[in-house]
Amino acid sequence: MTNFVQSILFGLTIGGILYIISIGLSLTFGAMGIVNFAHGLIYAVGAYALYTVATLLGTGFIAGVLAALAVSIPLSYVIERFVIRRLYGQSIDYAIIATYAILLIGADLLKWVYGASPLPISDPIGVLWTFGSLSMPVFRLVIIGSSVLIFFGLQLFFKKTLVGKIVVAGLQDREAVRSLGINVEKHFAIVFVMGSALAALGGVLYAPLSTLDPYMGFQILILCFAVVIVGGMGNLKGTAVAAFALGMVHALTAAYIASSASDAMVYVVMAAVLVFRPVEA
Amino acid sequence: MFDSVEKNPTLTLICVALAFLIYGYATSLPKITDFMIFCIFVIAFDLLYGHMGQLSFGHMLYLGAGAYGCGMFAYHIYPDPFLSILAGVLLGALVATLLGTLVVKTSQAAFALSNLALNEVGAYLVLSPWHKWTGGEDGLSLFFNKYGIINFGESTFRFYFCLCSLLLVVFLVLSLVRSPYGSLLKAIKENEVRVKFLGYNTYLYKYITFIISGAIAAFAGALMSINLSYTNTSLIAPTRNVEVIFAALMGGAGSVIGAVVGGAAFMTISNYLAVYLIRWEMFLGFALLIFVFWFREGIWGYLSKAGRALEKERSNR
Repeated sequence: MTNFVQSILFGLTIGGILYIISIGLSLTFGAMGIVNFAHGLIYAVGAYALYTVATLLGTGFIAGVLAALAVSIPLSYVIERFVIRRLYGQSIDYAIIATYAILLIGADLLKWVYGASPLPISDPIGVLWTFGSLSMPVFRLVIIGSSVLIFFGLQLFFKKTLVGKIVVAGLQDREAVRSLGINVEKHFAIVFVMGSALAALGGVLYAPLSTLDPYMGFQILILCFAVVIVGGMGNLKGTAVAAFALGMVHALTAAYIASSASDAMVYVVMAAVLVFRPVEA
Repeated sequence: MFDSVEKNPTLTLICVALAFLIYGYATSLPKITDFMIFCIFVIAFDLLYGHMGQLSFGHMLYLGAGAYGCGMFAYHIYPDPFLSILAGVLLGALVATLLGTLVVKTSQAAFALSNLALNEVGAYLVLSPWHKWTGGEDGLSLFFNKYGIINFGESTFRFYFCLCSLLLVVFLVLSLVRSPYGSLLKAIKENEVRVKFLGYNTYLYKYITFIISGAIAAFAGALMSINLSYTNTSLIAPTRNVEVIFAALMGGAGSVIGAVVGGAAFMTISNYLAVYLIRWEMFLGFALLIFVFWFREGIWGYLSKAGRALEKERSNR
């Protein structure tokens, strides 16, 4: 029983991370029809920024988080402005290939600077929470808490702010919003940068649970694509549900079948969803 | 003048054969054998991407199915080279038949990504749960029976065998693309809804094309494992999908000759230039960006366009 509860909590952690990263992907896809592989790069950059500031310079975790955001926001703006904006409305394949190219370039740069070997980041809190026979690093609880906060924050953002409302409207009918004289692309760009900042945050939060390597973005990105496909592209609530459900699948597979099988199991679930609910994209 | 090569199948085959013979004897036969096998893979990929308009980000799965089908048959059952190749192709076609029911329903982004995810599953299955049969991380080393001059241990024989295979694939795909079936594929690429409207079952055509493409990719995989005399996980690695996409773009998508040109050009770069380039992935990334933004027609597309322009100028004079 303890084992089961523990796996559920682990699943919530992974689900939270997946949610934080997938939200940007889902928005870019739903809003602009672009599959953004560069998202994985931003995730890795966030984690490496944390490593540089918190571990190499020794300034602490919070400074690392700020550094990750400070690096990822301008970087994602540059990617949006010079690569993705040029590919709006064109065949989706070109966007996939171009953003994949950016992922390759970025991963190689990271490898150049930091070397290819995996780098560890220590748990920034380092305290275990125990409840009966249950024990969990407090940091995992922080992750679950932040993902819930982000979920409600985003709900507020999309319901209450003007930018959020415009984006939601644009997701439904882009032409109609444009005919009201609103520059949809500009608002999507804001949301793109926001989604990227969240990806960097996801990298920051996940890095202490695993290790850093230049290709870390690739692996998690495919998981997040599975989340976006299962949850429905551009569907914000669906993304949240899918992220936590697949996180659960991931954790329970790791606990009861084999930890190496957990990624594959997520894709099997995705395939099963595809069988019963064809995706219109 | 390049158009005339493309329009005449006999001329195409002669040009491809001559080009690879000259290239092979000018450099080294084993290397060019690799190049030709990769070209077969690019043709298989381009059948989906260039002709049917669906970008698959997981075609390495079918290459891997072919390589493992061939390798496991030779290792566990009987080391006859031809039966092994057949086993590889059949396994690739079987995998495509099964998974095609899933992925062909999707299109565009979901198609690309679900293929990638399935490729991850395949790579995982080969690496860990099935390692007893696939050799896991070490792979399998293979030996094949010899029958007189049919000796796959000889690099010259392998070269000619792969050349004939490439010519066969080029011929088959050219005839497929030029048939009414090929025109239908092109129509599906342009506007699937309209084709549906005309009463065609577009799903069925896409599904069959997916299986054909998977089988050809598996053929390339089987040849690769015979040529290397081993199979291992690098033949099914999802991260290598970008290579074939790059090659198809570089040569010019939607043309069989373009695929061959792209495959040969990519292999030339990765074999000769990569030695001098320390940052190979960065180079690949920038090159991909250049092709996407400024050079979409690819090498072959550019050449045939230039050829047409030249002819027009001549006829105007």
